[in-house]
Amino acid sequence: MTERISIKGLGKRYGRQWVLRGVDCEFSPGEVVMLIGPNASGKTTLIKCLLGLVRPAEGSIASGGTTITSGAAPDPAYRVRIGYMPQISQFPGALTIRQLLEMMADIRGIAPGELDDELIEELGLRDQLDKRLGALSGGTRQKVSAILAFRSRPEVLVMDEPTAGLDPVTASRVLARAGRLRDAGGIVLITSHLMEEVESLADRVAYLQEGHLRFLMPVREMLEITGAQRLAVALPRLLSSNERTTVAQ
Amino acid sequence: MLKVFKYTLIDLLRNRFVLSYAVLLLAIGQGLFLLEEDPMKAILSLVQVVMALVPLIALVFTVVYIYDTQEFTQLLAVQPMTRRSILLGQLLAMCVAMLVAQAFGLGLPLLVHAPGSASLLLSLSGSALSIIFVVLGALIATRLREKARGVGMALVVWLLFVLVHDALLLALLFTLSDYPIEPWIVPLAGLNPIDLARIIVMLEIDLAAMMGYSGAVYKNFFGSNMGMLVAALIMLLWALVPGWGAMRAFQRKDL
Repeated sequence: MTERISIKGLGKRYGRQWVLRGVDCEFSPGEVVMLIGPNASGKTTLIKCLLGLVRPAEGSIASGGTTITSGAAPDPAYRVRIGYMPQISQFPGALTIRQLLEMMADIRGIAPGELDDELIEELGLRDQLDKRLGALSGGTRQKVSAILAFRSRPEVLVMDEPTAGLDPVTASRVLARAGRLRDAGGIVLITSHLMEEVESLADRVAYLQEGHLRFLMPVREMLEITGAQRLAVALPRLLSSNERTTVAQ
Repeated sequence: MLKVFKYTLIDLLRNRFVLSYAVLLLAIGQGLFLLEEDPMKAILSLVQVVMALVPLIALVFTVVYIYDTQEFTQLLAVQPMTRRSILLGQLLAMCVAMLVAQAFGLGLPLLVHAPGSASLLLSLSGSALSIIFVVLGALIATRLREKARGVGMALVVWLLFVLVHDALLLALLFTLSDYPIEPWIVPLAGLNPIDLARIIVMLEIDLAAMMGYSGAVYKNFFGSNMGMLVAALIMLLWALVPGWGAMRAFQRKDL
């Protein structure tokens, strides 16, 4: 069963520069949260803290008995539950797609029969499994990245700009798969600049600005408050209003 | 660790840079043996080439490879494995790839043209230098965030070991020639793994005389079994200490 993720007073700084400060929020099983914000707002840092790639300077992230703090990195058991689709898909160029998939399955200790290989078919990569990763286009590498993220059936999926470089059909298939994970009780966190693409999928929106979480609220509530039909319209209206919306959980 | 090692090695053994390095060493080795009638003279020339080229290639290759695979390393770090396993697997694979290239490019001509203890020692010294400089490269790449600074630092480190250390040593010996500095000559050589490797091979070829007065001191110390053991231990330390530093930096690093 997926455990909720609880973030308390999370902060990260590089030198004297705080890139994330005082972030408090919770992500619950069975929801898709869209992380948005301008460039350098702290989205990637927040994701990296969650993934255990970056150690916070203050605060904590707790989930399923694991707590990440400045002094404690997440244990491998925490990472078993996590899938990650990075924005830049870069792999060892001389390996084939098949070898990469085998490597990741080996690392996770998953037998081939336990893996979810439907997406390989869906994304049309079955015939390309023996191609070298160095010979693939950016879009195909992104497809491989999506397969890696979903293949081990994670409970928590973090997607950093997942549709960047993907054609519209593939993008919709990847997002549909994220929706199925949510329906199965997983937690999906997505950062994206293309709100139209993910707004139908998102349950809540987290808006980060200058390292602070300005709001976290359900999409429906955002639309109701602003009277807008689309997130792309609702967001600027919400930001321009003087109401400083606090974290809604 | 073994999983990372296995797939990184598969990738590296098909890497163009590694293949080119093997071919370059083969061309140099074969060329020198064909040009020189006396195999010992060829080995002597090869010593100079190996002592400069092997550390340079190992350093630059490691630094560039680590920076270029940064995104993939991030993906590995999200998998259920420790960072120690990731770095150890990658380092081991890089060392083995360098050693395979060296065995093909350097070992083959040595085996064909001059089989013997001098060739064996040259191969072993070159291998030790490969490992040491791969580890030093890893230390640089894990401590510095920017690739350009990392590559720059690698070149500075190489210059320090290949040129600056020797120049300083010579200046020191010349300046302090009126004082009893013999006890310091051996420890000073230990400060530079390239010098140490060169000394060991030169002693085996019996060309210690080329190193002048200090050659006699080296022969006296490293000529014995105990001396060789000390040299091997110093080389081991040159691999272990930077390796420990790289591991420590990688485990604390924000990826």
